[in-house]
Amino acid sequence: RYLWSDDPDSKGPLSGLAGSREESDEDSEEGEEIDNIEIFELLRGIYDPEHPLTLEQLQVVNPSHIFIRPPNPPSPGAATNVLVEFTPTVPHCGMSTIIGLALRVRLLRALPERMKVDIRVRKGSHQSENALNKQLNDKERVAAALENTALLEVVEKCLAGEQPTLI
Amino acid sequence: MGSVEQIVQLHGHTDKAWQLAWNPVEPLVASCSTDKTVRLYSYTGLVHPKFTLSTSISTGHTKTVRTIAWSPDGKLLATGSFDSSVILWEKQPAEEDKDDPSTGDDWDSITRIEGPESECKCVAFSRSGEYLATCSRDKTVWVFSVYPDDYEVSSVLMEHTQDVKCVAWHPKEDILASSSYDDTIKLYHDDRDDEWYPFATLTDHASTVWCMSFSPCGNYLASSSDDLTIRLWERHDDEWHTIKVLNGTHERSIYSVSWGRGRGGLGWLASGAGDGRINVWEMTRQPQEPIEARLITTQENSHGVSDVNAVAWCRRDGYTDMLGSVGDDGCLRIWRITPD
Repeated sequence: RYLWSDDPDSKGPLSGLAGSREESDEDSEEGEEIDNIEIFELLRGIYDPEHPLTLEQLQVVNPSHIFIRPPNPPSPGAATNVLVEFTPTVPHCGMSTIIGLALRVRLLRALPERMKVDIRVRKGSHQSENALNKQLNDKERVAAALENTALLEVVEKCLAGEQPTLI
Repeated sequence: MGSVEQIVQLHGHTDKAWQLAWNPVEPLVASCSTDKTVRLYSYTGLVHPKFTLSTSISTGHTKTVRTIAWSPDGKLLATGSFDSSVILWEKQPAEEDKDDPSTGDDWDSITRIEGPESECKCVAFSRSGEYLATCSRDKTVWVFSVYPDDYEVSSVLMEHTQDVKCVAWHPKEDILASSSYDDTIKLYHDDRDDEWYPFATLTDHASTVWCMSFSPCGNYLASSSDDLTIRLWERHDDEWHTIKVLNGTHERSIYSVSWGRGRGGLGWLASGAGDGRINVWEMTRQPQEPIEARLITTQENSHGVSDVNAVAWCRRDGYTDMLGSVGDDGCLRIWRITPD
């Protein structure tokens, strides 16, 4: 679990996962704006790394903690910002970086690239709130984490359930 | 306002492109990517430069090639990867009986440098080409002495408390700067025994300092941060102080700054960020006045909806108005900047 933070990487090649996206994005990209309920649908079925329960069942994710900020002024080519706040089950939860990474990977794979995602823990919900937020939003560390075989396996397990798309 | 014109967009990488580097001597520009390749383009023509793929190097790195740098004589290329290693490349002499000239130049790896324990984030050659600095997530900065076909560890600097994002050399003296996820910038000298030691810590940034670039004159340093500011630092002997903060110019993390020669004077500063925007400032200073940064031009959505990961000025005579950028779209784009 500490692989992402401090330990040297385990060896083993893995390619392209950080940049890979589902092909099925085309419709949503042209259609209406994606709302927080649709984002929640993408995230609710992710499993907790330690329990056979989903993030919805554990109330780690909640549609009212997902915020969408469309481009201002509105413009078809510009980015939409998505902020997902999650609530760790306990304030010292050591799995929070994994949960955050799983949320990010799911959205990376399911959302069009024009949606720029920020992942944060809910204010006051974790003792290392700032450190966690910084790590989860450092694109370089996220990209490197996804090339770490051992870490990616843990994330894939969380994502092993239903793989919803936006269609 | 001046203008920015796209000269060309060069597709080819199949995944994120992280950095680009202009050869300081030859008409060549290189880019590196998560796809583990380096692409080299040559260019000809002054008014309307034409870019041609020279070669694509399959680096043998087992993970993302994050960083790339040329030696000052333009003969060595260094690549640094998330696989922790750094490789030095050299162009092989052209074979006269080569059947197919279209296959481009051959670049061979001449040295593989190991040492740091986790992802390499940046590589940079000193102005003399004598030293190569690298930095990594293991919090270290390594300085290597580089010889033909060989290298030696000069110093391992463990001054930062977190992931080190960028290393940059002073353009005239052996001064090294490093910036980190710990929000600070450190500056280092060497002593007579070739040992490097820190002499200054710059702490004004409020979040990760992604990138740094010295001014061509060496009296200033620009740094860009996740705190959404660019800071300009001025040198007073061994002390460097913030003299200007460029605020409100980007809306997401500022991954890159490059300080080029522009059209003389203090030169031009460019920035690229996660908001897809590229900004260019003309830097000037009147006697007894503080430094001025005048925005020449801004390019929105420079890589479509993708993040801009790096910007870099060409430093060759006649091409100092040419800026390169790379982004998550895997593209290398070349821009020409015209002030008003």
